[in-house]
Amino acid sequence: MYDKTVRRRRAVLLLLVVLSLILLTAYFGEAAGGQLHSVQRAFLTVLSPIQDGANKALKPVRDAFGWIGDTVDAKSERKQLVRQVDKLRREVIAEQTERSAYRELLALYRLDNRLSVSDYHPVTATVVAKSPNIWYSTVTIDKGEAAGVHINDPVINGEGLVGKVTQVASDGAQVSLITDSTMGVSARLGSTPATGIVQPKVGAPNDLLLQYLPANTQANRGDYVVTSGTVSSPDDSLYPPGIPIGQVTSVNEESAYRSVNVHPLADLHNLDVVQVLTSVRGSTPGKVSGLAANLPAGQTAAPGTAGTGALASATTGK
Amino acid sequence: MSAWEHTAASRAKAHGLFGPSFSPGIVARIALLAVIVVFFQTGVVSELSVLGVTVDLSPLLVAFVGLLCGSMLGAITGFAVGLLVDLALVQTLGVTSLIFTLIGYWSGRLRELRDPQAALTPLLVGAAATGASMVGYSLVEFLLGVEAPVSLELLRQIVLGVIAGAVAALPTWAVVRRSLEGGLPEDPRRRRRRAYTTGGLSPLTRA
Repeated sequence: MYDKTVRRRRAVLLLLVVLSLILLTAYFGEAAGGQLHSVQRAFLTVLSPIQDGANKALKPVRDAFGWIGDTVDAKSERKQLVRQVDKLRREVIAEQTERSAYRELLALYRLDNRLSVSDYHPVTATVVAKSPNIWYSTVTIDKGEAAGVHINDPVINGEGLVGKVTQVASDGAQVSLITDSTMGVSARLGSTPATGIVQPKVGAPNDLLLQYLPANTQANRGDYVVTSGTVSSPDDSLYPPGIPIGQVTSVNEESAYRSVNVHPLADLHNLDVVQVLTSVRGSTPGKVSGLAANLPAGQTAAPGTAGTGALASATTGK
Repeated sequence: MSAWEHTAASRAKAHGLFGPSFSPGIVARIALLAVIVVFFQTGVVSELSVLGVTVDLSPLLVAFVGLLCGSMLGAITGFAVGLLVDLALVQTLGVTSLIFTLIGYWSGRLRELRDPQAALTPLLVGAAATGASMVGYSLVEFLLGVEAPVSLELLRQIVLGVIAGAVAALPTWAVVRRSLEGGLPEDPRRRRRRAYTTGGLSPLTRA
């Protein structure tokens, strides 16, 4: 009996294995249109609707399992995306900084071309420190004596006049902005020959006041105020003529003189790249600056808009 | 014919051609379970991937049927489930049948020869069945000339598959056992319980 059971069991196993091998061989050997393939296709035809129904019925189960898997995956994906966002943010910031610097340099380049400031040996510098409050009136730049920067050198950016150098070290300098209370810039109103002094407006640190204009000066809102190219005192800086300072916002009627309120063109709160106009000794601007520095107190170096050219002629005796 | 032979013959006649566990009821249950498992496998489990591998419930089912019902029914279930899988997934007919037949037979023989009662037996059997099916598939595919490099990736897939099979083994075992419960005249636990409580003598009493 035991032998019979064992023999039967082995026979069944052998039968199933042989049947599997026959199926395997026949299926593998026949063409795609063979009988076994046809049987399989027929089975699939019958099974497909059932599978489809089962698939739909089991979708909630699949979704539930999938939700768990997605949650696990989402955590690692989130970490990865956070890292990616950080990287992209750094790249965007770097690009924005570069673009901003490019725009400022482009503006400076255009200003150079328009005003021929290259005669003044401009030194491009980066602002490295600013006063943290809105009342600041000085900034620190990364170029100093080693780069040819001297006290009283004018400082400009692509928008217009920024200020002048008031302290200088070997590799850095302090620039007083035109809104600093100690500043006074000889300026001209638009295309008129009328000149005056631009000074910070008391109580409004972001605004300027062009004072001491002749009473008959025609001033309109929106007129541009530019440097006149003259100095009002020996301690003053000789700014090249024609550098934009600001735009007239309102006109004040006074008795003997006329004054206008001026809004600076340069965004003094967002300075990044500036140019220091260094007058190299021996150059024409350098000679003019030297002459201006040697003038007696209270004497104006040169009137009108001839500016540097006229002063240069006087200096050289032509 | 002796009395013992008469008893054995009548028992064999009562239990059918292939042994005590091959009754129409249990066959129907196994068939229903096989269809459900194959549909559940193709409809749900195959679409859930963990660490790049999916759990295959079919070899687990075959192995557990063998473990519960014996080698004969295990082998036949393996062949049938393999055929169903090959037909449903439009695979090469005979490959899965061959592998599952051997898995079912082996697990059935394990029960018949060792009758393991440890709690971890289903887990180990499940892992072994999954590993055997994966290795078997690879061997048959290589023999059939499917060009796939034997790489670390393949080994990694097999190892992860075995782990996944082991993880799924205990719940699958519980489901299979619960489904076939009552139709198993030779339920090992019931047999053991009966030995001590319903007429059988405990080893201590016998001593």
